[in-house]
Amino acid sequence: MRILVIEDNLTTRQYLQKALKEQGYEVDLAENGQDGLFLALEGDYQLILLDRMLPKLDGLTVLTTLRNAGKKTPVLILSALDSVSERVKGLREGSDDYLIKPFALSELLVRIEILIQRKGSNSDKQTNVLQVADLKMELLSRKVFRGNNEVILQPKEFKLLRYLMEHSGQVVSRSLLFEAVWDYQFDPQTNVIDVHMARLRKKVEFDGLPSLLETVRGVGYRMVEQG
Amino acid sequence: MALVTAWWNRVKSAHSVWRLTRLYTGLLLSVVAILLVVLYQLSIGQMNRQQQLQMANIIAQQTLLAEQLTTAQFVEQFELQAQSSRQYILSYQTKQQSIGRLSEAPTLPQCPTLSRFPIWLDQYDEIRLVSGCAQPLGSGTLIVAVDDESLYELKAQFISASAIALCLAILLGLITGLIFSKRVLKRINGFNQVALQVEAGHLSARVAVSEQNDEYDHMASHINTMLSQLQHSFETIAGITDAIAHDLRTPLSHLRQQMESEILDKQLENLPTEQLESMLHKLDEILFTFSSMLELTRLQQQREDNSQNFTNVNLQQVIIDAVDLIEPLAEEKQQLVTLQLPSPLSLQGDATLLFRAIYNLLENASKYAGVNAQIEARLTPNGFIISDNGPGISDSEKEKVFQRLYRIEKSRGVAGFGLGLTLVKAIIQLHSGTIELLDNKPGLAVQITFSD
Repeated sequence: MRILVIEDNLTTRQYLQKALKEQGYEVDLAENGQDGLFLALEGDYQLILLDRMLPKLDGLTVLTTLRNAGKKTPVLILSALDSVSERVKGLREGSDDYLIKPFALSELLVRIEILIQRKGSNSDKQTNVLQVADLKMELLSRKVFRGNNEVILQPKEFKLLRYLMEHSGQVVSRSLLFEAVWDYQFDPQTNVIDVHMARLRKKVEFDGLPSLLETVRGVGYRMVEQG
Repeated sequence: MALVTAWWNRVKSAHSVWRLTRLYTGLLLSVVAILLVVLYQLSIGQMNRQQQLQMANIIAQQTLLAEQLTTAQFVEQFELQAQSSRQYILSYQTKQQSIGRLSEAPTLPQCPTLSRFPIWLDQYDEIRLVSGCAQPLGSGTLIVAVDDESLYELKAQFISASAIALCLAILLGLITGLIFSKRVLKRINGFNQVALQVEAGHLSARVAVSEQNDEYDHMASHINTMLSQLQHSFETIAGITDAIAHDLRTPLSHLRQQMESEILDKQLENLPTEQLESMLHKLDEILFTFSSMLELTRLQQQREDNSQNFTNVNLQQVIIDAVDLIEPLAEEKQQLVTLQLPSPLSLQGDATLLFRAIYNLLENASKYAGVNAQIEARLTPNGFIISDNGPGISDSEKEKVFQRLYRIEKSRGVAGFGLGLTLVKAIIQLHSGTIELLDNKPGLAVQITFSD
């Protein structure tokens, strides 16, 4: 797993390199847009972390050039420009995700995992049924069963559970869940997602059935297959 | 009529101006009165005095003659004199006869006290009122009278003319006083309006300066200069806060990175990380406040040029999404959230920002309305209303809650930084909308109205 980090700030670059290496990724570094673009075009990376403001070549230009050259490597933009319009612009230019500085490392790692996974599973079969242990979700009829019992969910709870089941085994952060279910680009900064998760848990893990939703301290949630 | 009453009430309540008007009218009245008295004394008074002097002369003369002449001689000369005098009516009454122009003696006070009585005057062929008095003389009584009816008429005319003059003076005084006071009031009200606006946080309000260059204009330009300096200071302070937030963000981000690396290292060595994590949490709160402040400034500055990123937003869907998000939080406090969506509404805008504004208002309602409260999100034909039946906000605080970092005293215990409503207002204004805090009786109703 190779990741390219294009970032002009030395502290952030070293910090990203260290953190990613500890997670078992191989890391290449570029300190300006020109070098970054060259490496991105030549090398074979699973993911590119791209700073928005770069010397020599601006981050958005790097991204557009890359996409125009036919490179489909997932790109996660890291930026201190946190206005919604900047974010929308980045996503429109073909980035796969956008993270605002300062970000939590855990959040970054979760998003990297999801991006790499998404890239890998893009060619996967279109499925109509999601299943984790004895929890089954029928996407067409929008029905959910735990064992033989139907679980009645509200539309947002359904979306929440679907995202978790689609990424079962992976850690997903609160902000990722919020973005996936509500589709608004900001971080509500409160425990509101935890409250939603608690409610969902009550519905899915009734009658002392084994827990499927695991809380990952300081990061988010994970759907796990147990028993 | 109601307009006049309202205006009058305003004039009456502006005590200083009303006092000035009264003083002015009073002065005008006394000047006119003094002038009239002087005029009276110089004209009618003078004539009166002359008449009296003349009568006294006649009486003195006749007394002298009566002493020097025999009764027959006196009567003879008196008769001649009575005939010849046209203005003065003379008569001499004894027990036996009546000499002169009066056929009969009326009862008159003793001279010089005058009394009026009617007589037939041949020369006018009519009955006229004359003033006269009686003077005992020798064996009879001398009656002297003067035809002063024209003088009385003059007096009456003078008095009515004076009354009219005084009325006019009062009227003139009041009118000029009120016109003057209205102008003064208008200008003072101008100052008051500006003071009220500044009090409400609109530091850009200025007093109008006229071209008359009078003391009000001097005062206005002084106040305007003062306000400009104040505004400049405020902007500098706001700018400094932003600059601090901006400059501190980078080193604080680096601090955050270092703390995270430290946590990772400790986790690898299986050492406790709770303390570092709680420090990280505090740091995140600081960073969140800073970025909210910067975002607020950006939103407030963006007002004109942000519409290029606007898309068609279905407000109904945004409200449903926001209510979906808050609902379990409200449920934890046994609060009931109801939706009223009579008809769909869409507008050009930024869906994420609108969602944040609506969610923020719902979150505030849930936070402050208390356990068991009822919260309602209602779509109106040109906006929406978020209301609750909690304690509400007092009138004196309604404007202030929109100020940056302002927090109501009794809410200090609740988590938050006092940026929420300021942010909501900035978002609504970015969408050319207005935000109003109304009484829900009980509770608070936040009414958002979009202009187009």
